[in-house]
Amino acid sequence: MDKKILIVDDEPHIRLLMAQTLEELEDEGVEVLIAENGEEAIETIKLEKPDLVFLDVMMPKMNGFDVCYAVKNNLDIKDVYIIMLTAKGQEFDKEKGQQVGADLYMTKPFDPDEVVEKSWEILGL
Amino acid sequence: MVTISLKKLLNKKDVLSLIKEMSAVMETPILIQDTQGRLLFGEENQKELGHYPVKLADDIIGWISGGEKAASLASLLSYIANKEIQEKMLARETLDKYKEINMLYNISGRLTACLDLKQVANLIIDEATRLIKATSGSLMLLNPDTSEFELVAAIGQEYDPKAPLALGRGIAGNLILTGKAEIINNVQADIRFVEGRNQIYSLICAPLQTKDGIIGVINISHQEPINYTAADLKLLTALASQAASAIENAMLHEQKLKEERIKSNLERYVSAKVVEAILEEKDDFSFEPAKRDIAILFSDIRNFTTKCEELPPELIVEYLNEYFTHMVDVIFSNGGTVNKFVGDMIVAMFGAPSRLVYSEQGAIKTAIEMQKRIKAIPVPWIRQNFITGIGISSGEVIVGNVGSPQHMDYTAIGDKVNIASRLQSIAKGEQILVCRSVYDVTYNLFDFKEVGTVQVKGKKKPVDVFEVIY
Repeated sequence: MDKKILIVDDEPHIRLLMAQTLEELEDEGVEVLIAENGEEAIETIKLEKPDLVFLDVMMPKMNGFDVCYAVKNNLDIKDVYIIMLTAKGQEFDKEKGQQVGADLYMTKPFDPDEVVEKSWEILGL
Repeated sequence: MVTISLKKLLNKKDVLSLIKEMSAVMETPILIQDTQGRLLFGEENQKELGHYPVKLADDIIGWISGGEKAASLASLLSYIANKEIQEKMLARETLDKYKEINMLYNISGRLTACLDLKQVANLIIDEATRLIKATSGSLMLLNPDTSEFELVAAIGQEYDPKAPLALGRGIAGNLILTGKAEIINNVQADIRFVEGRNQIYSLICAPLQTKDGIIGVINISHQEPINYTAADLKLLTALASQAASAIENAMLHEQKLKEERIKSNLERYVSAKVVEAILEEKDDFSFEPAKRDIAILFSDIRNFTTKCEELPPELIVEYLNEYFTHMVDVIFSNGGTVNKFVGDMIVAMFGAPSRLVYSEQGAIKTAIEMQKRIKAIPVPWIRQNFITGIGISSGEVIVGNVGSPQHMDYTAIGDKVNIASRLQSIAKGEQILVCRSVYDVTYNLFDFKEVGTVQVKGKKKPVDVFEVIY
């Protein structure tokens, strides 16, 4: 079955950059999905069951921490790997990320090589 | 090269639904195939009427088969494909820029944390060759003393020019004079080129510019014609400026460490204040033996051997260390230098290694304070048993490092040293004896009593002796 990656960010530039970064995985049959806010993210995760989610923290309506908590606890979808992606780099955020069940924490500006490397690893390609 | 496949385009949900919708509205069943004839949309058994190409710029990326109306669908799909590729190219370019920013961001973080010159240089070369296509790279610093380049870091085949590059020699040697980064896409045709072991065809060379001038260069090269671009040059120049400040920092740090080492070595001989003076006035100070006008002070405990027999050796050493600590403190606080300890004897110099304006005055002041300090040491046994005699002389002696390469001593040699030693040996307990040269410049500052003359070994003329009354 084909793998799916979901990019969640309210900033169109970051969505564009992330999608372009993950382009080489698309050639391997990975489907790259996009969500523009937290609510859309929840819907997409429920519907598409992506394997990996890059989740922005600061978003309107529903922030990344809330989305992550909802997915991992309320929706009880455990087999999705969630990487929190945020400009905040403080220890507090990392702790919060762990509390809501995030699997990894990456800071912006994100390192494109690291994003690709991690995706390969997590999807087991 | 950015490309786009029809399959990928049709995988996009909105594109697919648009095609389906149009096909339904136009009431024309269609078939979409890629250039290899693989079916992407529709059903194979439909009656084919015509074939219309889907074009990306001038290239055909697939075919739509169907009735006449299918031609307009092919145009629509071509239009979407062309829009998509434009967006993709823009995204690719943006990502490349983003990668560059990210690289500079990362590298500046890592450089700030790094104070080792070699490590900094390696980091820069690694990053440069990761970012710019290259088969070899090197970072060279210009040695200001020899005007030759010294290789600090290199990757690829080890950089090894036939003759060492220097100011004005080779491409790097010339570039350092102009101060401008350059791309040379055919190195062999460049008259400045000095051939080394590395095979080079294309080269980018950027100077390492600091506020004090150019300190070296970074070379990035490829053994095949690669046609480096202005963007590559800009990137290497940005890296070079980061590198220059990091290297400058690392060099300053090394210099500081070296000074710290000298300082901690010196501080065992002279006071911290004198060390500072030595480090600040570098020209005035040298370990090389030279003639100097100084005052020499000898101080020795009377009947020390007998005293030693009264106590266990550990206690004697403990008391001796306590005593020396106090005496060195007094010597340092008056600007003196401890030349050596010989058993219980202390030899101190005033006026070397750093000059002292009133060396005789300093020596007498030290001697008086030494005598008084002993009486203030909070160990009764020391106060009662350590009774010293002090001798001071002054004049021209040779001071500097003397010894063998394995062991060097900073010391003073000359008649005057022998005189101080002799005065000390005849001084009774608590007495301070000086010779005429000391007396002549200090008689109106201290009280003296004339003692007489003594014969000094190896000197025909007897020496006039004065006792300091304190």
